[in-house]
Amino acid sequence: MKRRLASSLAALISAAAALSACQGSDDQGPVNLSKGVPVGAVLALTGNANVYGQDQKIGIELALAALNGAGGVNGKPLALSIEDGGSAEPSANAAFTLQINRGMLALIGPTLSQQAFSADPIAQRRGVPVVAPSNTATGIPEIGHFISRVSAQSSVIAPLSIAKALQLNPSIRRAAVFYAQDDAYSTAETVIFQQALTAKGLKPVTVQRTQLNDQDFQSQITAALNQKPDLVVLSLQAMDGGNLIRQLRELGYRGAIVVGNGMNTPNIYPICQKYCDGILIAQAYSPELATPANQRFTAAFAAAQARNPKVSPIPPQLTAQAYTAMQVIGEALARLDRSQPLKSLSVSQARRALMDEILGGTYQTPLGEIRFTPEGEVIQKNFFVAQVRMNAGGKSGRFSLLP
Amino acid sequence: MEGLLQLLFNGLSVGAVYALFALGYTLVFSVLGVINFAHGAIFTLGAYFTYLLIGGAVGANGLLAGLQLPFALPFWLALPVAGMAAAAVALVVERIAFSPLRDRGSDPLLALITSLGAGVILVNLIQLLVGAESYSIPVGTLGSLPAALSIAGAKVRTVQVILLAIAGLLLAALSIWIDGSRSGKALQAVSEDPVTAQLLGINSGRMIQIAFGISGFLAGVAGGLVGLSVSIAGPYFGIGYGLKGLGVLVLGGLGSVPGAVLGGLIIGLAEACVPAELSGYKDAVSFGFLFLVLLIRPQGLLGRPQPNKV
Repeated sequence: MKRRLASSLAALISAAAALSACQGSDDQGPVNLSKGVPVGAVLALTGNANVYGQDQKIGIELALAALNGAGGVNGKPLALSIEDGGSAEPSANAAFTLQINRGMLALIGPTLSQQAFSADPIAQRRGVPVVAPSNTATGIPEIGHFISRVSAQSSVIAPLSIAKALQLNPSIRRAAVFYAQDDAYSTAETVIFQQALTAKGLKPVTVQRTQLNDQDFQSQITAALNQKPDLVVLSLQAMDGGNLIRQLRELGYRGAIVVGNGMNTPNIYPICQKYCDGILIAQAYSPELATPANQRFTAAFAAAQARNPKVSPIPPQLTAQAYTAMQVIGEALARLDRSQPLKSLSVSQARRALMDEILGGTYQTPLGEIRFTPEGEVIQKNFFVAQVRMNAGGKSGRFSLLP
Repeated sequence: MEGLLQLLFNGLSVGAVYALFALGYTLVFSVLGVINFAHGAIFTLGAYFTYLLIGGAVGANGLLAGLQLPFALPFWLALPVAGMAAAAVALVVERIAFSPLRDRGSDPLLALITSLGAGVILVNLIQLLVGAESYSIPVGTLGSLPAALSIAGAKVRTVQVILLAIAGLLLAALSIWIDGSRSGKALQAVSEDPVTAQLLGINSGRMIQIAFGISGFLAGVAGGLVGLSVSIAGPYFGIGYGLKGLGVLVLGGLGSVPGAVLGGLIIGLAEACVPAELSGYKDAVSFGFLFLVLLIRPQGLLGRPQPNKV
């Protein structure tokens, strides 16, 4: 009996060792270019954050088509694999691990900052470059050397919309703040908003905590309205934020509303409908930016969306940022392949060298010219503040840039 | 006074949703002694059915992408029709997940697991057919009714008042049916002792189907109303309500119809009593409150103590 147990244990240990050896040898083995240059993406295509993931998928696929149309990586096509990271940390972790084990040279994603804090350390430990298209919380690039982002952090853009609200209405005195306490993006951004308010002499009269999956905000809203705010500042995701705005307006609030990056998607229009009208938002992207890169992108987006007349031909920020993430990886791979042919490198060598190329490059993107700090933080020149203008009937609208 | 009234409105408006959800839950439990975990998925379906029936279109994803019915019903008609469609699905769930196990005399725990499986399958089916995106019932669906009402300085959204009123009406109708009709009494008899009821000539299987049908109708109507109140947050819309509904069911007393309503309203009020600045913790408070009540009264507020069998 003891002997059988010992031999079973030995077999188990051997199998585990063989499996880990397998994994190690995959990373040390040559890059598999048989189906193209492997790049992975992990996007929230289902769950509460799916509204972002769907926008991002379009952007990544447009960039892929553009890159491969221009010859891919020096003649080799990019082979993109997209996995659904859901809208939760466990599914994002699983999708990251799956993509890394498949030998992806770089990853785009995950969609939410909350997921990034959980999944990015996996990529960091395995030495896989990550370019985040939409993580705006403080501390994302600081996760490690292999983590970078093309989405400007909240501290850079969020205060712009507060300043614009005060410029539009200098008589604003009382601000109410709402944020989702169980979401990394919301908790990070609300601190920045509150600091921006304080810097302008507007200490929030109330700070209301919600939760990501909340749908009814009657208690929080009525408590906030008791404080008679003339400005409401929201750090929420699209779904809960859209619902809160609708309920806020239905309960009679008529003042200014400033929202954070989580609501930076046209997918809020069907949620708050006519009540979306007038909300202010700072943006890291403008479809009106007159650069060749952006004009190519907007034209490609409009052409792709033409098949569905119900969809707006104007690209949202999340699509532009996802496009940019794919473009950055594609261009960095091409540069790397010219200096060190990918076929001569092991997977781990290629990943390490690619990270250096990503951080060392300058890119002409739909967001304008961007570069990276040595930590992986994006350096971007152009930021904008937009106001939502809903069409009559309240079914669709647009982010109208403010001067 | 104004603050107290506002707190009452806040609690009742949320509690009505929980109560309506738990009514259907408790009806099946009262007959079968099993919690139907597919109830949340049927609630979700009710919201989607309502959305489609009032003329909503399926989005860009899923096998039914772009689908729109060739007609559009007014909300007040769409809601009961959606309820009936949800009832039909509940009956299918009963036929697939409950009936075969009951016929074999299986342990009720197995039915609980199969209902969980049926719920997961339904949710995935919704996702497959209409995608994972959220849907919104248009603002203005209630016609010329004002968006909110102001009573003695306290404010409440009209849709919440309607929800509360419908929950009350359905409770009254259900109570009248259960206590005042022959079939309602037959249902009570089956819930007391299905074998004896069968011997007395009551068709237990039929009564169970009726319970499932009504439960599905209630879930469908609740889903449609909550969908009107907030956006339909994708296929997993009913999951959170399912968890809360379970708490309400236990608090009110397993199998007690008035208990489901009382439990819903109390949980709603408990949540509303959480200071607004700390309302992110309201779930912890409501479940903590549930825990305390059960320590004092393990059978729930209106439940009957389980007799010890010797």
